[in-house]
Amino acid sequence: MKRYGVFALIAVLCASEPALAQSSSRIVGTVFAAEGGTPIVAAEVEVRGTGVRRVGQTRDDGRFSVPVDAGTYTVVVRRLGYAPDSAANVVVAEGATVTLSFRLRTTALQVLGVTVIGYGTQDVRNATGTVAAITPDKFNVGRVVSAEQLITAKVPGVQVIDNNEPGGGISIRIRGGTSVNASNEPLFVIDGVPLNVGGGLSSGRNPLNFLNPNDIKEVTVLRDASATAIYGSRGANGVVLITTKSGSSTEPAFTYSNSFSSSSIANRPDLLTADQFRAAVTANAPANVGTLGSANTNWLDLVTRTAGGAEHNFAASGAKEDMRYRLSLGLLNQDGILAGTNTQRVSGSASYRDVLLDDRLELSANFKGTRNSDLYSPGGTLGNAVSMDPTQAPLTAGSYFQYTNPLGPNNPLSDLALLSDEGSTFRSVGNIEAKWYFRQIEGLTGTLRSGYDYATSSRTSFSPSTAQGDIETGRTGRLDRNTPRQVNTLLEVFGNFNRQFASLESRLDLTSGYTFEEQNGDYASFFAEDLSTDLLGPNGIPLAGETRPSLSVEESRLISFFARANWTFRERYYATVSLRRDGSSRFGPDNQWGTFPSFAAGWRIRDENWFPSTRNISDLKLRYSWGVNGNQSFGNYLYVPTYTPGGAQATYQFGNQFVSTLRPSAVDPNIKWERTTANNVGLDFGFFNDRLTGALDIYNKETDDLIFSVPVPAGTTTGNFVTTNIGSMKNSGVELSLSWLVLEGRNGGWGYDAGFAISTNRNEITSISAAETDRILTGGIAGGVGSRIQVLQPGSALNSFFVYEHIKGANGQPVNGPTDLDRYVDQNADGIINQDDLRAYKDPAPRLIIGHTSTASYGNWEFSATARAYLGNHVYNNVASNLGHFSGLTQTNAPGNRHASVLETGFVNPQYFSDYYVEDASFLRLDNISAAYTFDRLMGARSVRVFGAMQNVFTFSGYSGVDPLAGVNGIDNNLFPLSRTVTAGLSLAF
Amino acid sequence: MKRIIRSTLAAVVALFVGSACTDLTLSPKSTINSETVFTEVAAYRSLIAKVYAGLAVTGQQGCCGDPDIAGIDEGFSQYWRLYWQMQTLPTDDAIIAWGDQALTELNTQLWSSSNPFLGAMYYRAFFQVAMANVLLRETTTSKLDQRGVPAGTRPEIAQYRAEARALRALSYWHALDLFGAVPLVTENTSVSEAPAQATKQQIYDFIVSELIAVRPDLPAIGAAEYGRFDQGTIAMILAKVYMNAGTYVGTPNYTAAMTEVQSIIASGAYSLDANYRRMFSADNQNSPELIFAIPQDGMRMRNYGGTTFLAHANVGGPLNAGDFGLNFAWWGLRMRPETRALFPSIGAGAVDARAVFWANMNQPNITNMQDFQQGTAAPKYTNRTTGGAAGSDQEFVDTDVPMFRLGDVYLMYAELNLRGGGGTAAQALTYVNALRQRAYGNATGNITAPQLTLAFVLDERARELYMEGHRRQDLIRFGLFTGATKIWTFKGDVAAGATTAAFRALYPLPASELIANRKLTQNTGY
Repeated sequence: MKRYGVFALIAVLCASEPALAQSSSRIVGTVFAAEGGTPIVAAEVEVRGTGVRRVGQTRDDGRFSVPVDAGTYTVVVRRLGYAPDSAANVVVAEGATVTLSFRLRTTALQVLGVTVIGYGTQDVRNATGTVAAITPDKFNVGRVVSAEQLITAKVPGVQVIDNNEPGGGISIRIRGGTSVNASNEPLFVIDGVPLNVGGGLSSGRNPLNFLNPNDIKEVTVLRDASATAIYGSRGANGVVLITTKSGSSTEPAFTYSNSFSSSSIANRPDLLTADQFRAAVTANAPANVGTLGSANTNWLDLVTRTAGGAEHNFAASGAKEDMRYRLSLGLLNQDGILAGTNTQRVSGSASYRDVLLDDRLELSANFKGTRNSDLYSPGGTLGNAVSMDPTQAPLTAGSYFQYTNPLGPNNPLSDLALLSDEGSTFRSVGNIEAKWYFRQIEGLTGTLRSGYDYATSSRTSFSPSTAQGDIETGRTGRLDRNTPRQVNTLLEVFGNFNRQFASLESRLDLTSGYTFEEQNGDYASFFAEDLSTDLLGPNGIPLAGETRPSLSVEESRLISFFARANWTFRERYYATVSLRRDGSSRFGPDNQWGTFPSFAAGWRIRDENWFPSTRNISDLKLRYSWGVNGNQSFGNYLYVPTYTPGGAQATYQFGNQFVSTLRPSAVDPNIKWERTTANNVGLDFGFFNDRLTGALDIYNKETDDLIFSVPVPAGTTTGNFVTTNIGSMKNSGVELSLSWLVLEGRNGGWGYDAGFAISTNRNEITSISAAETDRILTGGIAGGVGSRIQVLQPGSALNSFFVYEHIKGANGQPVNGPTDLDRYVDQNADGIINQDDLRAYKDPAPRLIIGHTSTASYGNWEFSATARAYLGNHVYNNVASNLGHFSGLTQTNAPGNRHASVLETGFVNPQYFSDYYVEDASFLRLDNISAAYTFDRLMGARSVRVFGAMQNVFTFSGYSGVDPLAGVNGIDNNLFPLSRTVTAGLSLAF
Repeated sequence: MKRIIRSTLAAVVALFVGSACTDLTLSPKSTINSETVFTEVAAYRSLIAKVYAGLAVTGQQGCCGDPDIAGIDEGFSQYWRLYWQMQTLPTDDAIIAWGDQALTELNTQLWSSSNPFLGAMYYRAFFQVAMANVLLRETTTSKLDQRGVPAGTRPEIAQYRAEARALRALSYWHALDLFGAVPLVTENTSVSEAPAQATKQQIYDFIVSELIAVRPDLPAIGAAEYGRFDQGTIAMILAKVYMNAGTYVGTPNYTAAMTEVQSIIASGAYSLDANYRRMFSADNQNSPELIFAIPQDGMRMRNYGGTTFLAHANVGGPLNAGDFGLNFAWWGLRMRPETRALFPSIGAGAVDARAVFWANMNQPNITNMQDFQQGTAAPKYTNRTTGGAAGSDQEFVDTDVPMFRLGDVYLMYAELNLRGGGGTAAQALTYVNALRQRAYGNATGNITAPQLTLAFVLDERARELYMEGHRRQDLIRFGLFTGATKIWTFKGDVAAGATTAAFRALYPLPASELIANRKLTQNTGY
């Protein structure tokens, strides 16, 4: 029967409605703001007659429709933040439609609207949870490839960390990490369809690149447990709800916009110049002086470039009676500053919404389809460029310079010319939603939503037999192709009951439902080596000496029941209770189901009668919430004992036969989800007639049952580690958001408003195993295979650096003594420097994050700026530690370039574990600035807007590496130069 | 209204009760279920192959992916690489250049209990124990009856059981040698709780009794197919265990060791390989001298340990990787000056053929252990056959790991005779001179009876068996591993060498194991 139960429910509800015997009379109309003329969403329209009371609500475009019997009515329209308006003596004849139009005046300078929350919408003013909605007027500007970049620095407690590569990977942390081995990324929900953790499938770049930022209407970040608990087992790391644009009657019918950008290098790794390198080799590796060339080559310059980008977006939208549609097409072509890299996107979307069956059925659908084509820099282009000998000429008489020793780096120009690495992703996300308004019970609606997320990608890298790497390894050509595919399907049914009970001075908003999600993935890959010809390139497989195909098929299921009640009493007391029960196939039968409750309360103190009616304090609301969330974002089947067959390269020889092997797995059959319990106290405030508004939140989160791979007593299982629930950690912090309307910009004068998003978060691991003293090393670094320089241990922050204390000399530089005892502090004074002398020292998380947004207007001009500062974050400069020693010049006869720090430290051997490389990476960055001018009615267009923007204008930081924001885990392996982008474009609306 | 509520409730109840809407049981599709695996009889053969493969490879995919043990880079986690490092690096035999802290600790004897290589070796040994126990639990007569395993395959399965017990005993010997008192886990031990620590005597007794018990179920000496244990392997393990019993339980058993040594020699199954270098070449499976070798294969048994490590890591500096059938030089291992000094100097007339390749780099003395060009490159392992043909792959080496060979047995005979274990002095001299004749190509290197002393045997073992993973055990048996009597380069983290504490003759139990198993007591000194 599967999902038919859901349909049965709907059928039962629908069938039990009385026949359509009602009158076809109705009162319809629109509600707009008196200033600006924008539609007012979710305004309450109350129709009162003798013994009759009906209530309707305005939709996204400000329209409403209330069916009534013939009679005389009074219509009252209310919306928070606006003065109510009414129309008396509205006479409706049998079968007639009366049209009314309301224009509401604001009572406050800044009006907060309605925002989406899980399975519904809510007035921002009435919210009891910590919910922040960002709309396009506050989005970051410039070349924005991924949706996450739109909200960088806009929401307190939200860190957005990208890797400098256009369209490259992005990490988001909301209120710090809650997990070690499961994902710390938030849950993304697009128009009600939850994506896989981390955003889903891609060929290598950011999975959310499939979403055209121009199609986004609103990004809502749910941070506290009350808001996220409705997403149960996936809410622990916060939830990001993305609502895409749909048609609206007020929107221009056609829009076209474009932008063109140019990116150039702003900062890059600090390496030795040719002269410095020559001197270093002469002094430290006299045996290798003979290998030096006579050129002066900047290899990084050779593999980087000024990169151009272009973007075009078309959209057509319109309305016909109640029907709304929007169609859009987007094209993006962006080069990376690293030679050979590029990302292209062709995206299309269609959105439809209609109200049918006598206003009782609201039908909507959204479909998006995108193809991303990505070119990657093949092999280790950057790594090779960084470590090439700068005294060598890259190309002499048509032949590339290569080291004679295969341990030396390969000429990146040769690799760029010969190797290829390309990927493409096709992804489509869509949903169809039917919402039924039940007439018998006023305020009752039922929604059926089905959605899907289909993604298939391919990534193919090819290396011909003529590539240096192939020559050195003795392979004659390699082809590696991965073709994963994922299909997620979603079915949801939920009911909503939203009604005002005047006699009780209450409003009740009840939601309850069921969801069924299934994920199917197949992961196929193919590897071929020793190709008989190079001529097919990445597009075919010739006879190969060795081939390795593989296939893995996985499926998982998540089934949930949820309920939520919002109660508003006397328009100033609020309470929310929610409960979600999740069942996940990732756990064994005893642990499949988990319950995630939440509770929240709010009190609008400002509206108490005893509160002085001063306009200087225009809003004051106290909130408290408590809730439990889960995290189940890790592999499937962790609880199932299985036997893994060995591959063809892991056999064992019996005589002349090679026998395949079988290995039983070591599992904990009782594995279950990680649980986070969170408390949040918040204060929403508005001063000076809401000229200054904001929110202050204080929270703590305690995560238990953390999933760790822990050592098991040797000999009890076939494996030394078992993945099980054992650890716990906590996060606590304070967040402040401020929005200040400094100048109102009346009559074309100056307008200016400023926003601040300020947050702190402290993380502490409270336990990781049964033992107090246990620690787990994390943070693998480049250099010293298997070396790890971070630690998880009780009492320290997540991924604290785990290093030796380097003795500082009189000049403040680390001492460069002959033995470890001369260099490092012997913490346990046993006369030996070994692992026991490592200590937890600093951590990657910033102590304070400040985001600032300024927007200004003058006449038809608009200006904006976004800046960001982190204080107290620390980064391990792995580029310096890996390349900042002279032994790289002597260890082989292929001396590679060094990091310039070696000139200061003089280290002969690598000192990977020195705290010298743990640097304070506090910074202030002007993320973007922009200016735009809007022409009214130019050449027949409704509006013409031109804009220019610059991204990554400047960064102030004491950090010595390329980018203080290097990687979410604080290990800077980043060779990718930081870029600065200038963008200009125009948009037309007809 | 009532009707609506009633039917709504009914529908909701149906939804919650209806199991199909809440069915969450999904079985893995791309791995084999533990309930169905033994429906194929071949599974037993695959299982014993895995117990053996635990010595040879690191995981289920070959070199890389799905490793057997976690917490360490898979490439490092190969059994022999870990065992070899622990038996070789802290001695006067070889030193490694790489900057990893954990390797420096091994080079200098100054390890801590959190050294990842020590932990990995410990877990490797117990992975073998656990795998053998799985096989023994899954092949009991009642289980075989229950699954209807045909009588024809029962003898074969009986041999698998004997092999599993012998492999388990081998790893217990390694654990006893390296870590001392460890838990004793057999197929009958409850795995629901942490096992208790056994005494060294209990482990020792278990190894001896198991090996004696399984001997009749294994093929005669030299009769097993390649890559599997026979009674020759059993005799060799027993001989080693008896010979070092003084180290393990305080009382040596030289006589019993001599009995095993003599049985190996008397079987006539093995003979000295005329070509010393063949035992370390890609065709060493043809060497008549090998008693047991861990098979390695560049195509079918890929891993970054074993001879892949030994061949690559010994090459660097002026040595050309291609000469050894390798794609890369790893610039890692060199012989320490103290072992090199045991060989006659180059150009002094007599040439010891075992001194494989005297690449005189910048300097034979080592002042910076991380500079590969200091020390002596001694690349006796090669991925070329004695005929010069390259192995099947240039990265993963074909050469098998010579674990036990007759040359070692000859030197054991000599030592046991000198220690009063029996045999004759004349026979001992004959065996030692057989090795020396092979080394010199003639009798110029032969020694006389008075020259055959215990000190000479120790030096001869250094010459004959260098870089074969015996040195630490030998030095401990001679009482020279720790302390001040014998000092070598970088012993105690001093270039000239320094005294180390006696407790370092045993490695510490891994820190992670002490946390996981609260019943264990750490070795003295750590």
